Amino acid sequence: MSCCKCEKSDLSLIKDVLDKYADVDGSLITILQHTQDIYGYLPTDVLYHIAERVGVSPAKVMGVATFYSQFRLEPVGKYLIMLCQGTACHVNGSERIEKAIKEELGISDGETTADGLFTLKNVACLGCCSLSPVMMINDETYGSLTPDKTKEILRDLKAKED
Amino acid sequence: MDMIKVTINGKEITAEKGKTILQIAEANGIEIPTLCYIAEVKAYGACGLCTVEVEGMPKLLRACSAVASDGMVINTDTPRIRQSRKIALELLMSDHTGDCKGPCSLNCPAGTDCQGYVKLIAEGKFKEAVALVKDRVPLPASIGRVCPHPCETACRRKLVEEPISIAFLKSFAADEDLKSGDKFMPEIAESTGKTVGIIGGGPAGLTAAYFLTVKGHKVTIYDAMPKMGGMLRYGIPQYRLPKEVLDMEIASIAELGVEMKNNIKIGTDITFDEIKSAHDATLVAIGAWKSSSMRIPGEDLNGVYGGIDFLRSVALKNPVKLGKKVAVIGGGNTAMDACRSAVRLGAEEVYVIYRRTRAEMPAEKVEIDEAEEEGVIYKFLNNPVEIIGKDGKVKAVKLQVMELGEPDEGGRRSPVPVEGKFETIELDNVIMAIGQKINISGFESLELTNRGNIAADTKTFRTSLDGVFAVGDATNRGASIAIEAIGEAQKASNVIDSYVNGEMVGYKKPFVSERVVTAEDLADRQKIIRAKMPHRSPEERRKDFDEVNLGFSVETAMNEAKRCLECGCHDYHDCKLICYANDYDVKPERFAGDKHNCKKESKLVYIERDQNKCVLCNLCVRVCDEEVGKSLIGLVGRGFTTVIKPEFADTSVTEFCKTCQKCVNACPTGALKTL
Amino acid sequence: MRIVVGQGSCGIAAGAAKVYSAIEAVVGSSAELTITGCIGMCFLEPIVDIYDGENLVKRLVKVQPSDAQKIIDFVNGNSDAVNDIEISADDKDFLLKQTRIALRHCGVINPEKIDEYVADDGYKALEKVLTTMTPEDVIEEIKVSGLAGRGGAGFPTWFKWNAARQSQGDYKYLICNADEGDPGAFMDRAVIESDPHNLIEGMLIGAYAIGAKEAVVYVRAEYPLAIERLTNAIAEAEEKGYLGENILGTSFSCKMRIKAGAGAFVCGEETALIESLQGERGMPRLKPPFPAQSGYWYKPSNINNVETFANVSWIILNGGEAFSAMGTENSKGTKVFALTGKIKKGGLVEIPMGKTLRDVIFDIGGGIKNDAEFKAVQMGGPSGGCIPSQLLDTVIDYKALGATGAIMGSGGMVVMDETTCMVGMAQFFLDFTAKESCGKCVHCRIGTKRMLEILNRIVKGEGKDGDIELLEELCYSIKDGALCGLGQTAPNPVLTTIKYFRNEYEAHINEKKCPAKACSDLLSYTIVADKCKGCTLCSKKCPVDAISGTPKNPHVIDTEKCIKCGACYNVCKFNAIIME
Repeated sequence: MSCCKCEKSDLSLIKDVLDKYADVDGSLITILQHTQDIYGYLPTDVLYHIAERVGVSPAKVMGVATFYSQFRLEPVGKYLIMLCQGTACHVNGSERIEKAIKEELGISDGETTADGLFTLKNVACLGCCSLSPVMMINDETYGSLTPDKTKEILRDLKAKED
Repeated sequence: MDMIKVTINGKEITAEKGKTILQIAEANGIEIPTLCYIAEVKAYGACGLCTVEVEGMPKLLRACSAVASDGMVINTDTPRIRQSRKIALELLMSDHTGDCKGPCSLNCPAGTDCQGYVKLIAEGKFKEAVALVKDRVPLPASIGRVCPHPCETACRRKLVEEPISIAFLKSFAADEDLKSGDKFMPEIAESTGKTVGIIGGGPAGLTAAYFLTVKGHKVTIYDAMPKMGGMLRYGIPQYRLPKEVLDMEIASIAELGVEMKNNIKIGTDITFDEIKSAHDATLVAIGAWKSSSMRIPGEDLNGVYGGIDFLRSVALKNPVKLGKKVAVIGGGNTAMDACRSAVRLGAEEVYVIYRRTRAEMPAEKVEIDEAEEEGVIYKFLNNPVEIIGKDGKVKAVKLQVMELGEPDEGGRRSPVPVEGKFETIELDNVIMAIGQKINISGFESLELTNRGNIAADTKTFRTSLDGVFAVGDATNRGASIAIEAIGEAQKASNVIDSYVNGEMVGYKKPFVSERVVTAEDLADRQKIIRAKMPHRSPEERRKDFDEVNLGFSVETAMNEAKRCLECGCHDYHDCKLICYANDYDVKPERFAGDKHNCKKESKLVYIERDQNKCVLCNLCVRVCDEEVGKSLIGLVGRGFTTVIKPEFADTSVTEFCKTCQKCVNACPTGALKTL
Repeated sequence: MRIVVGQGSCGIAAGAAKVYSAIEAVVGSSAELTITGCIGMCFLEPIVDIYDGENLVKRLVKVQPSDAQKIIDFVNGNSDAVNDIEISADDKDFLLKQTRIALRHCGVINPEKIDEYVADDGYKALEKVLTTMTPEDVIEEIKVSGLAGRGGAGFPTWFKWNAARQSQGDYKYLICNADEGDPGAFMDRAVIESDPHNLIEGMLIGAYAIGAKEAVVYVRAEYPLAIERLTNAIAEAEEKGYLGENILGTSFSCKMRIKAGAGAFVCGEETALIESLQGERGMPRLKPPFPAQSGYWYKPSNINNVETFANVSWIILNGGEAFSAMGTENSKGTKVFALTGKIKKGGLVEIPMGKTLRDVIFDIGGGIKNDAEFKAVQMGGPSGGCIPSQLLDTVIDYKALGATGAIMGSGGMVVMDETTCMVGMAQFFLDFTAKESCGKCVHCRIGTKRMLEILNRIVKGEGKDGDIELLEELCYSIKDGALCGLGQTAPNPVLTTIKYFRNEYEAHINEKKCPAKACSDLLSYTIVADKCKGCTLCSKKCPVDAISGTPKNPHVIDTEKCIKCGACYNVCKFNAIIME
């Protein structure tokens, strides 16, 4: 991340969001959620802009943005792999799935592949416990995973990009 | 105004309705610890130290926020609460990286605040510096000259180039103070009516006399020699410590009202029992005044002297007669004092015979070098096996040639004889400077250690006799350096003070936070050469006993003092965390684990932030938000890795900072510092 | 005929959406195709039900898109077309053995259609309340029912409602805690996805009882489908006049909105949730004041969990006594559990209080996967504990479960077999709480971190004598000193595993062995020469070339090189490799 306001994000993209929520008390999290939907992450210059519009200090915005695990301050890969770390998944071997992802893509929790295609994020329970172990890639849920099945899914996605 | 009645620790208290337990306790002089509460901002409840037990409530309450209700029965100091607080403090300390005190101070046996007085010297505040030194060492001019300065050994500046010249800075400041015409004199407490007898007027005895007098007790020192000063006077040569300097410092102590009785030998002039019964407490600080023997044939020949006996004769201006060729046996500071004194007395050939090599010599390097400059000849890896005499007089010494063996556990290589290899040198005198022993005569009623020294408790300094304490060279492990004896005497004076006041409290080493620093950490420091002490040339100085060192100029001293890295925490004396940590006797090492490891930053113009000392009480953030209304800093992240940061990484934040210092003042530790 | 595809998150993850599309492509006009929420039989997903009018005629399980034509064939009269995918009699028992109140509409109605809810007595309770009962009557009825908070703590619902009702204030809030954060629990998600109007109705009754004009549902961000369906349901309810100004023509007005959480387990704690609702970092406030006095925007607020609200309309319609007739002395009504882990039949189970754990796990859940040995059941997630086999006959009741060291919790029930390491389990939960600790109070922030570090070293075989005692000391201190429920309960998984499985801790520390053979650092792999046929499969599979040998001759593992990945063990066809 660069140091200050020197990034140049297109602030007009969140105009509507800010028009709707900036003056509604307690909407900071909602605004950040929309912002992340728009930009894929929370660029620093946008956070500054939000702080200014909402009328809270940038330090507070940063505090909120770094408190919740949903928010990202860095861009993520095209495919965001959310690997469930719930109890059921743990009991049913999510650790082996994490290892398989690492073997296939060479990334650990929080990392993105060099080609910018995949980001791995360990997440709290996705609530699909009966299908454990589970991962979600973008909006799709994959259940009853085995290491081999996981690698296959990732290879298919890679093949799609080639 | 509605009033309620509550009971705190068994005491019934009437209080205003709506007040918190903490407020009520505070108003009634009951201290409840807290790190995260100050009256100016809302209660936050993070530190968990202010917990109290309320009868009928299963959970502990946080006193900072719990509003008292009528009839509440509150206990603020139960085993359950103490345990909870202790764990909280241990957990906090386990993630607290910093140096409460500089390594200099920690390594000083007397715990002198070296960093503190060095800083005062850097600021030109010499009298204040002396006042600070005298908080621990009442003889700074003398000690600064002779101390082997463990402080400098520990000084971190050596990771950059060389340690700060701490010892000489101390004597510099003390000299300046003495000649200022307005020397520092401590305030003396109101008389307690108690008397303390001190046997022995050396550094330990004088130190204890100083501190006990300051505390208001009437002190009498009994000493066997004609003048006070002990080994400082009779063991250390004039060229290192001019007796005029020592006299002035002793005079300062006498001015406080200490009664000093010389030429009184216990068992001859007065009995130990008589002294004991004349005082409320007695301190034995008699030193170790007997030279150790080598247990080799020929030691009783004429012309063989003990090292300290020889030095004493010189100090008494009645030196023993030396021939042309003199050998000093031993490698310590006494050996150096002896050989250099022998040179000054006119001996033509002076040898130092040592069974190891130069590298293993316990004497200070500067002494070894200066002796050599003055013409002393070293004979390393030689061990005397016999002193050969003729007509009852020394004629020669037979030396076993040694070599260094394998290093022992401590890494020190022990000398081993090279079989059958001997050497003999012709001599007129042999001075044995291989160690000192205590002379116990007159003190037979005291229990001794198996080494033959007086047995004294290491925390209370108590001997086997009630009301009798002992410190210094005469006790436990035997002779050591003066500052060690001074440190013991200073601690013992507190114990004796508590003893005569009715309840003896032993010394407890304070818990401090320390960190490990490597040369890499200091790689960005500019190298500044250590100030050299100006001294007289070898040719000149070997002819007389005048002081070798000429002293620092004001400018040199101040510049030297400015080299200090200021390792110790600026907030040590005001830090609530370390204060509570000591109150609750923490042992954080049992929770050792990951720590915050952040760089210091100074984003806010006048404030330096050290996250590694932060306890995340969030007071700075809350004060900046609630009280100042700026909200320039905030919490970042969550859980263990939470940190406090100025907004983002933006340098422009500084413009908005009012530099009101309120955050710095609110910080309970040394995490924030005004630059 | 009506074809209903179960479309809860689990079903969709199992492929229900694809099944729906496949049927849609071929259904034509032969039947009506619709959806329902979560039926609760996750182990059989995707599930397709075929109705004739109100009658369920066939329940098809583990349906694949390729089964679409069969289904159409059945609808068109071929009565044997779906026999191979019909649910077995044994599996039918899974639902038959339950008593469904909170889940009564789940898997039955279409959650996206308010009419179906209304047709099933929906909003009748609200009507009854608004037209025939005073707020005090409502609170009294709930008091009679004995309903207690289903989020975990089990605090009497009427008491909270009454406190909020009594609290002075011109504006009050009713908040639904749908931040279902316990890993291994998904009851609330299922209710919102499958029966959102039941939640809305329960909340409105609560709002009426306490006098709230505004209601907020705080939903986990990880539940997008729940948010979507609830958003839709709120719009439907507003349109039909169940929500908004002058509800059902009465003077009662209440608006409702959703606030999506952003990923912080601690926001399950009431005051942290409120901070989060206000757009702040979700850090708990000091209590008192309690939310009933000063909550959301510092106004009187009442917070209940989803399942709690889901029971309310049933209680109003059937009477508090009908509810309290079920259960035990101090735990009334039913409780929903999310049964998962090493269980044969995982899914949602709602049973009356008073049944035993054995009833749920063995009678309803069908026992342990692969008929392995039951070891323990984890209840209450990171705040709960592990209950061992000797306590399987413990009845489901707040007090009885509390006595084991675990808690009722929100309903997560994760079953473990002999291959689960209990130290590893404790480590797993501490890893979770340490990551989720908000960092505010010292005991939790550093304490959970230090506990985790100790557990980490034990699991690695680096545990030291005294570590168990050190853990216990930390546990009790954190329970005492932590600011909020998260910290105060964080030690429970450790304390219960130490209590019931101390021998496993000792084996890790003293013998450097993991009895469950789960901790990879403590395992060693060796080849039994007698059994090895020299097939070379293991040496080919080994990622670090640690296995050497010539074909047809016994191979050897170089333990120095071995990274204990277990690949050889899994691939050996002759059971020649032992892991210990």
